[in-house]
Order: sequence, then C-alpha cells, then structure tokens
Amino acid sequence: MRSLGTGFWIALALAAAGFLIVPTMILNAPIEPVMGFVQKIFYFHVPCAIMLFLSTFVCAGGSIAFLFKGSERGDRLAHAAGELGVLFGICVLTSGPLWGRKAWGVWWQWDARLTTSFLLFLMLIAYLVARRYGGPAGRKLAAALGLFAAINVPLVYKSVDIWRTVHPQTTVVPKLDPRMRPAFWSAFLLITLVWALLLTIRVRLERARAELATLRLDAEELEEVRAS
Amino acid sequence: MKTAWNVIRGAALAVVVLVASSGAALAQEFEKIENIPKQDIPAGRFVGIAYGIIWLAVLTYVLFVAGGLKRVNQEIADLKRRLGSRG
Repeated sequence: MRSLGTGFWIALALAAAGFLIVPTMILNAPIEPVMGFVQKIFYFHVPCAIMLFLSTFVCAGGSIAFLFKGSERGDRLAHAAGELGVLFGICVLTSGPLWGRKAWGVWWQWDARLTTSFLLFLMLIAYLVARRYGGPAGRKLAAALGLFAAINVPLVYKSVDIWRTVHPQTTVVPKLDPRMRPAFWSAFLLITLVWALLLTIRVRLERARAELATLRLDAEELEEVRAS
Repeated sequence: MKTAWNVIRGAALAVVVLVASSGAALAQEFEKIENIPKQDIPAGRFVGIAYGIIWLAVLTYVLFVAGGLKRVNQEIADLKRRLGSRG
C-alpha cells in the first residue's frame, strides 16, 4: 500500500473530509415539497447510478483493448471496473426501491428504467461469472459481455424519455432547484472520488496477482531445473 | 346428440362471457373509502437504511480488496525470498 503514490493519499484524505461535509450539506438542503424527506436518497442514488454507467464504460473500454490488442492491462482494468459496476449496481438497486416504497407506495415496478437497470446489473454479474468459471476462453467471453453491457447503458439512460415510466425523467438533474445543487454536486464528487480510489486499489490487486502468477511459474521452472 | 352437446357448450360459453364481463365492469368502478387508517412510512428510517447499505457495501468491498492485496503481497514476498535463497 505504501507505493500507491501521493495522489492516492491526497484523494483518500479528501474523501474522508467529504464523509464529514457532504452529509451535513444534504441535511441542510431544502426538503422537496412533494416527496418530503425521503427525496434525500436522490443525492447518493443518482451519483451511484452514474458510477454504474461509468464502470460499465470503463469495463467495455478495457475489454476492447483486451479483445483487439490482447492488452493484459486493459483486461485488468475491465475486471476491476466490472466488479465496481456490480458494487454500484447493488447501491442503486437497493437505494432506489427504498425511495420508491415511500414515494410510489411499492418497492419495485417492472417499468422500462428499473427493468433495463436490473438487466445491466445482471450483465455485469454475467461478466464476472464468465471470467471466473468460463474456462480458458472465459476472459474473451466476458470481454464480449462487457461490450454488450455498455451498449445497454444508453438504453437505460434514455428509457425514461422513450417509454412512459414511473421513474423521474432525465431532466431532473438539469432542472434541480439551485439550492439543492451544491449538496448534489458535492455528493457526486465524493462518490466519484470513492469510485476512483476503489478502481485504483482493485487494479493494483489484479497487477499483484499477475506478478504472483509469474513468480510461481519462475519457481516451478527453477524446481524443474534443479530436479533434472 | 351432437346438437345437444353444441347447445351445452354454447350455454357454458355464454355464462363465462357474462361472468367475465360483469367482473370487468366491477373492476372499472372505483369506490371512495373514508376513514381508513393512513399508512405512515417513516422517511428518516428509509433514508438512513439507504445510506447505511451504500456505505456498508463500499466498506465491505474495501476490506475485501485490502485483505486480498495483503495476502497476495505476502505471497509475493515469500516467493521472492524463496527464489532468492535458491539463487
């Protein structure tokens, strides 16, 4: 962990400060008149959804680099981003129903936004499952799944504009009350920072695993040489 | 015999259509119900649970990755030491 660099530790310090400041800003933001206090879930639910999209795009980028250029670095990045996609998918798919239960009266609706988001989450799980249990071709199969997941992202985003759904439309953030904007953007910055930190340490773990695999091969070769 | 069977089938079909249409008509009517207890869902608890789940998920993931990193780094150090000692 010592060699993570100064940037990592500065970002970590900023994130720690954010954990103290952002909740206070959210509590001090005005209460939305229609939904009331439960609308405060919005300040973390939306940034988590954006991180889910970002993770999927990074996963697809890394997968393209691996599929077409054989880049091991791209594969490691894709793996880390795929896992983060599942993590933020869990955050979105649990905070959303809690908000929906209070605002709509139901935990879940099979409407376009919720269903496409759930499908995106399942695609990312399929990506990780294919990597782990797909055998020798598993990584390539997973990379293809990562690409399909990224194609689903614009559909998830635009689903509320294309179909009639119970979910708020994409105009919510641009039309946000100016008094709510500082809390929203600071929460967004905090979540983005946390995402970047998690991606950094996750990629580092993959790199360390690759180094360990190489060392094991070296050790086996040495054993064979000694035995002969 | 065949005609009697057709009559029975026709009558059964008519009964099914009649029952279904009256049921559908009833489903279209809404009746206002007064004085029912209002369902009160505590918003504060929902917001708390949502944030709790998000941060618990992140924290669990950090611990999982940090644990993995520590274990792998330890194995790397052990292997390097073994390889170094064997020349």
